[in-house]
Amino acid sequence: MESVLPEGKWARAGIVGSTALKVGLREVQHKVKRPFMSLERQQADKLDTDDKNAELIFNALTQLRGTALKVAQMLSMEVEILPERYRKELEKSFHQVPPLNRVLVRKAIQEQLGQPPEYLFTSFNDQAFAAASLGQVHYATLQDGIAVAVKIQYPGIHVAMKNDMKLMRKLAPNLPNPQMVLQSLEEVGARLQEEVDYAHEAATTQWFAEHLKIEGIHIPQVYPKFSAARILTTELMGGQHLDAWLATNPSQEARNRAAQSLYDMMVYSVRELKRLHVDPNPGNYLFHADGSVSLIDFGCTKQFSAEFIHILPQLLKAFLEEDVEAILAAYRILGMDHKPTTEHWYQEVLRPFAHWVALPLQTESFDFGQHQDYTSNAREIIQRLSQNTKYLPKRIPLKRAIGFPIY
Amino acid sequence: MKINEQDKQLTKVRILVAAVDVITIRGFKNATMREIAKEAKVGDATIYNYFPTKEKLLYGYCEYVQQQVMQELKDISNFHEYSVQEQLQQLVETTLQIWLPAREFLQQVFELSFGAPLVGFTHLEETKRLFTAMVVDILDAAIEAGELPEQPYRELLPRLFWDYANGILAYWLKDNSEGFANTTQVIDRSMEIIAAILQTGMVGKLLDLVSFLFRTHIMTHTEVLKSLSQAPDLVASKRRFMEGK
Ligand SMILES: Nc1ncnc2c1ncn2[C@@H]1O[C@H](COP(=O)(O)OP(=O)(O)O)[C@@H](O)[C@H]1O
Ligand SMILES: [Mg+2]
Repeated sequence: MESVLPEGKWARAGIVGSTALKVGLREVQHKVKRPFMSLERQQADKLDTDDKNAELIFNALTQLRGTALKVAQMLSMEVEILPERYRKELEKSFHQVPPLNRVLVRKAIQEQLGQPPEYLFTSFNDQAFAAASLGQVHYATLQDGIAVAVKIQYPGIHVAMKNDMKLMRKLAPNLPNPQMVLQSLEEVGARLQEEVDYAHEAATTQWFAEHLKIEGIHIPQVYPKFSAARILTTELMGGQHLDAWLATNPSQEARNRAAQSLYDMMVYSVRELKRLHVDPNPGNYLFHADGSVSLIDFGCTKQFSAEFIHILPQLLKAFLEEDVEAILAAYRILGMDHKPTTEHWYQEVLRPFAHWVALPLQTESFDFGQHQDYTSNAREIIQRLSQNTKYLPKRIPLKRAIGFPIY
Repeated sequence: MKINEQDKQLTKVRILVAAVDVITIRGFKNATMREIAKEAKVGDATIYNYFPTKEKLLYGYCEYVQQQVMQELKDISNFHEYSVQEQLQQLVETTLQIWLPAREFLQQVFELSFGAPLVGFTHLEETKRLFTAMVVDILDAAIEAGELPEQPYRELLPRLFWDYANGILAYWLKDNSEGFANTTQVIDRSMEIIAAILQTGMVGKLLDLVSFLFRTHIMTHTEVLKSLSQAPDLVASKRRFMEGK
C-alpha cells in the first residue's frame, strides 16, 4: 500500500511546524550539553546533531511530495550552501517520487489533451517507466509507430507548489546558513515556476534540438500535438542513466567520447548559442553504448548576456595566468566584488579556486580517474570563495557567473 | 419500433440538457417548463409526457449523469485490471468529469435536496441505486478475486461510499483552487485511506466500536439524546441515517 499522505495546507504546516520544533529542540540540547564536553566530543556531537537534523528535515521534505523533492534536489545541487551531511540526505531524493495511479494518469491526459490515452496513442503503457520530479514518464507509441516518452505532471501540483514554497521558507531558519538558503529558495521558486510549465520546456527543447547540433549529442524531438502545459511527449531516447551505463563497463573509448561530447556541448552552448542546459541532474543524461549522450529535460536553461560571453574567456585566461588583477576586474564587470582583497585572501581563497578552475584546462586531456577528488575538492573551495563574495546590486549567483556547472 | 425507442431516448436527453441550460441561467425557481421545452425544441405538451414536473427534470438529469458515468467506466478497456482503490477513485473522478459542464446545475440540486431533506432523498433514490450498484459490483469483484478480505457490514459499504462521494461533490462545489486541484488531492488521499480501511477489514471494527459506545454510553443518557435530537442539524442527519438503513 502507498503511504497515507498528509492532507491540505494545514496538515502540511503541521509537518513543517513539528519538524522545525524537533530540530530546534536538538539544537538546544546540543547547546546545553556543549560546555561539559571535550572539544573532540563536541565535534563528534555536532556531527551527530547534524545527522539527526538532516534526517528530520529530509523526512519532512519527502512528506510534502513533489515540490519539496524538487526543492531538495535543487538545494542539494547548491553545493556551497548546505554542508555535506544535509546534502547526502537530500540526494537520496533523486529518482524517488511516489507514483501516480492509473486514475490520475488518465485524468491528467484527459484534462490536458482532451481525450483519454487509448484514443490518442496506438499503445500507452499505464505503468510508468521512470519517475519525474513532478510526475512520471510513460512509454507510448504514436499512430505511425514512433516510440515516445510521455511525461505527466501530477494534477494540481502547480497549485500546491506556491503553498509549499511558503512552508519551505518557514523551515529555512532551522538549516545551517539560513540567509543563503532563503536567498536560494527565492531563485528555486522562480525556477520551479518555469519547470512546472511543460509548454515552456517543449519550446526550449525544440529550440535546442534545432540549434545544438553537435556530434555525439542527441536531443529528442517534441510532439506538440501530444503535449500541453502539464504533459510533454518527446521522442523516446535509448541509452541509460550514468550509473547503469557504468555498470555495463563501457570501454575507455566510449567513456572518453561521452566526456568529450558533454564538454563540447557545454562550450558550444555557451559560446555559440549563449544558452545552456543548467539542470545537470544525473537523471537528465542518457548514455549510449557508443559513448554518445542524449540530453533530456530542458526545463531549466540559462541565457547568457553578450557581455558575459565576452568576459568569460578573459576570466579563464586570467585564471590560467593567475593574474589577480585581471580576475578581479573581470568579476567586477560581472557584478561581483571581493573585499578585502588582502594577500591572505588571495592565497587562501582565490588562488586555490583559480588553480582548481584552471587545472583541467592546462593539459591537452584531463584524466578524472587520476584526479578522483577533483569534484569533491570543489565544495570547500567554492564555499570559501562564496563566503567572501559580495554581489553588486545586480546579483548574479556565483554558479552562473562562473559560467559552467561545478557540481 | 427500435428506432422509435432510440428517438424517445434522444428526445429525453435533449430535454434534460435543455433543462440544465435553462435552470443554470434562470435558477430552479424561476425556470419554467415552457422555457425548457422551447430550448429543447419540443412541444409544450410533449415535455410533460417525459417529465411531469420540474423536480423530475432535476433528478432525471442526475440519473442521466450516473448512466454516463457507468458507460465511461465500461469504456475503459483495462478497467478490470485496476486495483479496487483505482476503480473506486475512477468512479468518483468520472462522476466529477461528467458533472463538470453542469457544475452550477449540481449546485442547485444540492441546495434543493440537502437543504430540505424531506424532498430530496426520495427523489435521488434512483440515482443512488445506480451509483451503489456500481460500488457493489466493484467490491464484490475485489472480494471474489481475493484482493479484499470478506467485509463485515458489506451491505452498508456502498451506502457509506455514496455518502462519501456526495461529500466530495460538495467539497468540489466549494473548491475555488485552479482546475479544482484541491479536490483532486482530497480524493487521491482519502482514497488511500479508504483502501487501507477496506484492506484491513477495519469497517467492521469501527462500527463495532460505535455500536458498543452507543449501547453502553449514549443509551444511558437518553435525556441528553432527547435534547440533542431537537437540534435541527441532528434531525436531518438522523433522518439520513435511517434513510440509509
Ligand atoms: N525522451 C525520453 N527518452 C527516454 N527517457 C526519458 C525521456 N524523457 C524522460 N525520460 C526518463 O524520465 C526521467 C525523467 O524525465 P525528465 O524530463 O528529466 O523529468 P524532470 O523534468 O521531472 O526531471 C528521465 O531521467 C528519463 O529516465
Ligand atoms: Mg530531469
